[in-house]
Amino acid sequence: MTKLKLQQRMKLFASMAAMALAFGAAPVLAAPPDELVAAAKKEGQLTVIALPRDWCGYGPMIDSFKAKYGLPVNELNPDAGSGDEVEAIKANKDNKGPQAPDVIDVGLSFGPSAKKDGLLLPYKVSTWDSIPDTAKDADGYWVGDYYGVLSFAVNADVVKTVPTDWPDLLKPEYKAGVALAGDPRVSNQATMGVYAAGLSSGETDAAKAGAKGLEFFADLNKKGNFVPVIGKAASIAQGTTPILVFWDYNALAARDTLKGNPKVEVVVPKTGVVAGVYVQAISAYAPHPNAAKLWLEYLYSDEGQLAWLKGYCHPIRFNNLVETKKVPADLLAALPPAEGYAKAKFPTLEEQAAAKDVIAKQWDTVVGATVAK
Amino acid sequence: MTTVAAPATRVLRFPNLAAWLGVAPFFVFAIMFLIAPTASLLVGAFQDHDGAFTLSNLARLWQPSIRLSYLLSIEVSLASAFSGALIGLALAIAALRGGLPGWVRPTLMTFSGVASNFAGVPLAFAFMATLGRLGFVTIVLRSVGFDIYAAGFNLFTFTGLTLTYLYFQIPLMVLVVAPAIDGLKAEWGEAAEILGAGRLQYWRMVVLPILWPSVLGASLLLFANAFGAIATAYALTGSFLNIVPILLYAQIRGDVLHDPNLGYALALGMLLITGLSNVAYLYLRARSDRWLK
Amino acid sequence: MKSSKFGAWAAIILGVVYFLAPLLATFEFSLRMRRGEYSFDAYRVVLASGNFRDSFLYSTVLAFVTIIVGVLVVVPTAYWVQLRLPRLRGLVEFITLLPLVVPAIVLVFGYIKLYGSSSLLPLTATSLGADALLMFGYVGLGLPYMYRSVETALRAIDVRTLTEAAESQGAGILTILFHIILPNIRSGILSGAFLTFAIVIGEFTFASLLDRPAFGPYLQLIGASRAYEPSALAIIAFALTWACMGLIQLFGSGVRVSADKR
Repeated sequence: MTKLKLQQRMKLFASMAAMALAFGAAPVLAAPPDELVAAAKKEGQLTVIALPRDWCGYGPMIDSFKAKYGLPVNELNPDAGSGDEVEAIKANKDNKGPQAPDVIDVGLSFGPSAKKDGLLLPYKVSTWDSIPDTAKDADGYWVGDYYGVLSFAVNADVVKTVPTDWPDLLKPEYKAGVALAGDPRVSNQATMGVYAAGLSSGETDAAKAGAKGLEFFADLNKKGNFVPVIGKAASIAQGTTPILVFWDYNALAARDTLKGNPKVEVVVPKTGVVAGVYVQAISAYAPHPNAAKLWLEYLYSDEGQLAWLKGYCHPIRFNNLVETKKVPADLLAALPPAEGYAKAKFPTLEEQAAAKDVIAKQWDTVVGATVAK
Repeated sequence: MTTVAAPATRVLRFPNLAAWLGVAPFFVFAIMFLIAPTASLLVGAFQDHDGAFTLSNLARLWQPSIRLSYLLSIEVSLASAFSGALIGLALAIAALRGGLPGWVRPTLMTFSGVASNFAGVPLAFAFMATLGRLGFVTIVLRSVGFDIYAAGFNLFTFTGLTLTYLYFQIPLMVLVVAPAIDGLKAEWGEAAEILGAGRLQYWRMVVLPILWPSVLGASLLLFANAFGAIATAYALTGSFLNIVPILLYAQIRGDVLHDPNLGYALALGMLLITGLSNVAYLYLRARSDRWLK
Repeated sequence: MKSSKFGAWAAIILGVVYFLAPLLATFEFSLRMRRGEYSFDAYRVVLASGNFRDSFLYSTVLAFVTIIVGVLVVVPTAYWVQLRLPRLRGLVEFITLLPLVVPAIVLVFGYIKLYGSSSLLPLTATSLGADALLMFGYVGLGLPYMYRSVETALRAIDVRTLTEAAESQGAGILTILFHIILPNIRSGILSGAFLTFAIVIGEFTFASLLDRPAFGPYLQLIGASRAYEPSALAIIAFALTWACMGLIQLFGSGVRVSADKR
């Protein structure tokens, strides 16, 4: 009897060891299973949407994914917003042609709402366990991919004194100088900008911070410092939006693109630092689900995560990678100083929803829309 | 077989069948590629989030903020249609009838073709680069001592937007009204001169009544063109001028507002307004038609 | 006569100033790619790109096909409505105004719904099918302009008399349409063709959502993140489109219509 028990124990121990090895090894090896690669190749291509080549270094990432697995990647509408991506899934429910996206990369609040609408396919990547719980859906329907903080992208040729914080923007020297990178009633980036301005006043409740942010922008507009143009790299360079509220990765990418002409300074404000998380999800109607899964495996492998870091986006496994000393020192040096990120506020889903509700509904009445003839 | 008002139609041997067959391709095309796709989505104006029938979206159109939005859209469209029509007409008459050298006409026509679709982000950017605070013209004028911004001008206003819209409205007018101006026979001008009419009389009593229906039709086109335009307004004034297409897009594609059914209801409202303006145009044209032929 | 010439010149010159200023400003900005001096760097970058050539060629060919199909759809319709079915005028005109007011996004989503890969007519599934769908969409987008121009031209000629005269000579309907009517409404067709061409070259929403390699999406892509190249691209596109219009003009005005010269 003891012998049997010993044998059973050995078997149990062996299987436990095997499991431990499998799970423990997964974050380290992060190599997708061969069946998945074969299935993906059989499907023939991957269709992505809303991935500008300059956003978080997606360009080089897509190219190396193509090279690594020999799978062509069809890039739809790089300028799409999160709402566009969800609409694209809905519109293509019955269409398996190349117009239907396989994966989406959307703002945090879109994950749960798309899941509720039954638009997503759950999948847990092999590095699942090293992703913080707050940044993923428990059932695997969506998972956080990267984050950044809101910063000021400043055209240093036009702006003599670079602002360091939100209250600075109200100074008269920045007349017709400040812009948002989107429509605050619609764009995540712009709404979070208003929220950040509100946080900077010291208000912590999300809805109240949203209201305070609206007041700030109303003030900015009254002083003539606000430009209603939707800013991008071109408008920074031309001078119409010399100070742009931009995600840090976008600001740094713009700085690189402009190559010093003009000089762009990227400033993380001293107060009111808001971090925005984006999430990755597979469409429930994806024409190429296995290719989609392979893409996710690639993104969450060390290689993929570091590629995001190279594009100035903090990958979701950043802390895990830093702990296991996987991050090259030069990559870290290229980012803005870490102190700015230490104070970053990661709004929860509820806080985001509360702030957005206030900002989207009241922007017109509090800040703008009185038509200046 | 023949219509009552038609004179000697004995020669037109085609039965009406030929006419109906002749317009059939148009209607087949319109149904397949305009009406059916639009209807299949706009039915959503009468549905709520779960697909059940509801009139609440239409009811919401009556909200003050949305009513104001429609009003603003109509104002912007009227402003650019009216000024675009007048200026376009003047340019077309100048080029086609002004006795100018032969190269002016084809140049104006081809340029108008290109400019008529120079809209959206590139146009907005071009105007920012011209009349923005650090724009080319702004700086040039400032260097000769005239600061337009100090004088109260601002590109990001109703006036600035209308000025920008004119860039594609004027060429559109030129192109659409050119055939009508071409149709002004020289004999009429000569006859008027022989009968002792001055230039002004000629224009007022001969040309204007003849051109009037075409000018009206072209103006309606300009109005609808501006009414549906979004890219330029969005790129120039972003969220500030709350015209209906921007509101619509925010609902259909928006990150935050995202209520597609309301978006479809907004689109339905736009269709209604366009339909009404078309009816008004037809009525006005029918009145003026009585004086022709 | 002299006074009117002055007025005409004044109008043209004012027009030139208004239309050239933004182009000059865009051009000036596009030259600023190299810090501190003017250079054609931005143009070099754009012209070297294979994507630019391919997408522009694609859109140009598509534009020509769209124009031809558009003329085939519009001319008979305008002719018959004017001649025999005047009561349909209101309905036809309203339909031609639809593409201006119905948002492009609604139309394209409608196309994907009706002609998606699992529908009766799966146009989106093949690239030729998607090209055809895009072309029909563009005929629709050009419809308001093509119809209005052709209709204006038809009003200016005496359709009834021309038809009767041709008929009395024994001409069939096709001969009448293509050998009698068409040459006389040349300026209307040309106007419509110009407008359609410009629309197709710059159009973005349809091409992007139907996933076709057209020029519009390429323009958008460049404009999203670059600063100087979009301006260079805008100038190049403007110049190339103008050149194509010139070609259409040359081709279309093969026989100088006497009305032109008056």
